[in-house]
Amino acid sequence: MIKKDLSVDFLGVHFENPFLLSSSPVGNCYEMCAKAFDEGWGGVVFKTIGPKHFKVDEVSPRFDELTKEGTPFVGFKNMEQIAEHSLEENLHDLHQLKQDYPTKIVIASIMGTNEEDWESLAQLVTEAGSDMIEMNLSCPQMTSHEMGSDVGTNPELVKKYCAAVKRGSDLPMMAKMTPNITDMVPAAKASMAGGADGIATINTVKSVANLDLDKKVALPIVDGKSSISGFSGKAVKPIALRFLQQLREAAGLEQLPISGIGGIETWQDAAEFILMGATTLQVTTSVMQYGYRIVKDMKNGLMHYMEDQGVDHLSELVGVANKKIVPVEELNRDYKVYPKIDWDKCIGCGRCYVSCFDGAHQAITWNIKTRRPTVDTSKCVGCQLCNLVCPVGAITTGEVRMKPGREGNIEDIDIESARLTH
Amino acid sequence: MTNKYREEAPGYTMTTVMEEAARCLLCHDAPCSAACPADTDPASFIQSVRFRNLKGAADTIRSNNALGAICARVCPTEKYCELACSRSGIDVPIDIGGIQRFVTDFEQQGDLKIIEKGDSNGKSVAIVGSGPGGLQTATTLLEKGYAVDIYEKNEKAGGYLTYGIPEYRLPANIVNYEIQRIIDLGANIKYNTTVGKDITMTEIKANHDAVVVAVGASEGKVLSMFKDNPYVESAVDFLARVKENQDDIVDIPGSAIVIGGGDVAMDVSTTLKRLNVKNVTDVAYEEFDEFKASKKELAGTQKQGVTIVDGYVPERVNGNEVTFKHRNIDGELKIKADTIILAVGQKVNTEGLGFVTEHGEVKFKGYKAKDEKVYVTGDIAEGDKTVVWAVRKGKEVAEEIDHDLLGGN
Repeated sequence: MIKKDLSVDFLGVHFENPFLLSSSPVGNCYEMCAKAFDEGWGGVVFKTIGPKHFKVDEVSPRFDELTKEGTPFVGFKNMEQIAEHSLEENLHDLHQLKQDYPTKIVIASIMGTNEEDWESLAQLVTEAGSDMIEMNLSCPQMTSHEMGSDVGTNPELVKKYCAAVKRGSDLPMMAKMTPNITDMVPAAKASMAGGADGIATINTVKSVANLDLDKKVALPIVDGKSSISGFSGKAVKPIALRFLQQLREAAGLEQLPISGIGGIETWQDAAEFILMGATTLQVTTSVMQYGYRIVKDMKNGLMHYMEDQGVDHLSELVGVANKKIVPVEELNRDYKVYPKIDWDKCIGCGRCYVSCFDGAHQAITWNIKTRRPTVDTSKCVGCQLCNLVCPVGAITTGEVRMKPGREGNIEDIDIESARLTH
Repeated sequence: MTNKYREEAPGYTMTTVMEEAARCLLCHDAPCSAACPADTDPASFIQSVRFRNLKGAADTIRSNNALGAICARVCPTEKYCELACSRSGIDVPIDIGGIQRFVTDFEQQGDLKIIEKGDSNGKSVAIVGSGPGGLQTATTLLEKGYAVDIYEKNEKAGGYLTYGIPEYRLPANIVNYEIQRIIDLGANIKYNTTVGKDITMTEIKANHDAVVVAVGASEGKVLSMFKDNPYVESAVDFLARVKENQDDIVDIPGSAIVIGGGDVAMDVSTTLKRLNVKNVTDVAYEEFDEFKASKKELAGTQKQGVTIVDGYVPERVNGNEVTFKHRNIDGELKIKADTIILAVGQKVNTEGLGFVTEHGEVKFKGYKAKDEKVYVTGDIAEGDKTVVWAVRKGKEVAEEIDHDLLGGN
């Protein structure tokens, strides 16, 4: 049985493991968070607490899912706003959680409409015993335009509100960023300038996921209409990782502490976020689909990964991959890698042939009788689409060849990829 | 008890059918489609399912196969499309029959009208027999604008589909729905009419431009040693009796011997078990490695708890006690049971039809008889004796008639 130290230190707070519930329906009350702690989560970001004067009024139904073939929850759309319980109840739950689970980390997510709100909420959650504050500057479906992602895209407001929170509390604080922005760096820098200690990202992506084709209305249908609202789950992971990279490569943010969010459901997703610069990891969609229990395999799988990598602390892995993401113009374009087809593994489905012809460079010839593909190196550009579509791993990266007139030593070129070779 | 006897295995749901369709590799030049005798084109309809076009999937099945919902349930796919499936190179073939059933169920639920009657061409064709061969022939001819009369000796259409294959494998409502579609298309079925007895071939020929004989092998064979034995019943008679009296089956024995190793023997054995017959022993001529029944039916029969003894032939019978001998090794087996059911093949009755058959087939190649107005199709025509082959032969004979009468235009 693997046993590894998964603890991390983030914004000066010690977490027994990096897995946190993100501020969302999955951490909406004491009972939920307590169950999550019992199942092994390192911390929770309690569902966002708003000011007393903001009344939460939700729609029904409020969710939708994107599917593909037989796969549910490829992506998830939700229209929920912030916590619907009273301010008093929420503060009581924060306090009780910390009392009952002193070693777990309780993070209060807050959202105000003006500086006074932010400051007083910060003060209240600090008094309740929270370990950390997360500022929700990014919910895309707030019924008030003084709240949520409309604020998060405005660096001036972001800076002002961060400063207000800092006035109300001396707890470590992270600002939660919206991905509904071309460049996250100005908002992140404004947060830091306002006093934030780190960044949480991404919140959900504004979306319309599906339509009812008979009614000609987007889903979910609320009395004949629908709205743009946040999209999450596996489908947004690539977008989240891209924002992590852009933050960590910005001048002055190279060591930016990040709480990573966006489609995490396996230890592999978790490891990817860590390698891309996240120290803690927040999860909602996969919990909504499968329950808190998923943390068990994320933790265990991550321990095995650490063991395989010869790493004793997750901090050794944080941001390791950032340095190897470079501008596209800096990539080595002097060579190509041909696919190698293993005819013993090939089952003759012809998918490589179809994809190469219709989606690439007509470089695979198909023997109708034997049902076997052959690579025509005179046409092959080495894109490896065939490798990706092969269902049995019969196509791998093969011979490396320098392009005509280019210099370089083939042996020095690093092309290995477990992923591309299944 | 009757519920257990009737119950069909549950089909896919929208979610599970998508999971199964997602297993399909969507092969280039798909081997499954090339392996379907009826050109039902599984590659095309599975691709349609995969891309959520269920109506398109139904279009493909129905326009290629008038008995698509029946084939989905009874086709020995392991010998055709699923045998060719590339997915076998990874694990197990796609459940093509199951996907086809989901699509045809969808078609039935939506009462989709996919095939249409062609504009009348003024020609008429008579079909003798309303089994699978006759039904497909009728459909293709109706699509081409022919008037079609079907002569059926029984009170219901469908032949073995109606009177043979057990309810749990092929529910009557499915068969009836498929037949009704063909009637709606314009087929005129004359029930309780035996050609050669109630009407002569000469009369039929006089009234039609062509006659297709699709009588099939409808009578059970009885080995000579079992002749006139009161304990013996043929499999076709037994299955017909059970299907006719679904809720009120009489003479259920306490124990039974079934002789035969094909799908019919499996149908009989499984039916007996489902009727709560305690001891059912099936004795087959073939050994398991050469078994005739499909793997699916064999497995289903074994799952019901039928004792299957392979490699034995009946040697002698004394009342209800049968003595078997092993074909290849020295061995004898004596079994006594309340009833003995023979599933050792069927024979064709061509009385009054103007030609003879040998080993269940006509003596000429193809579909055209010596008499230039007469054609044959279904099991009595050359080729496999399965529903899917009957569909193929039905389409082919209709094309040939169309070619002969109108030059195929």
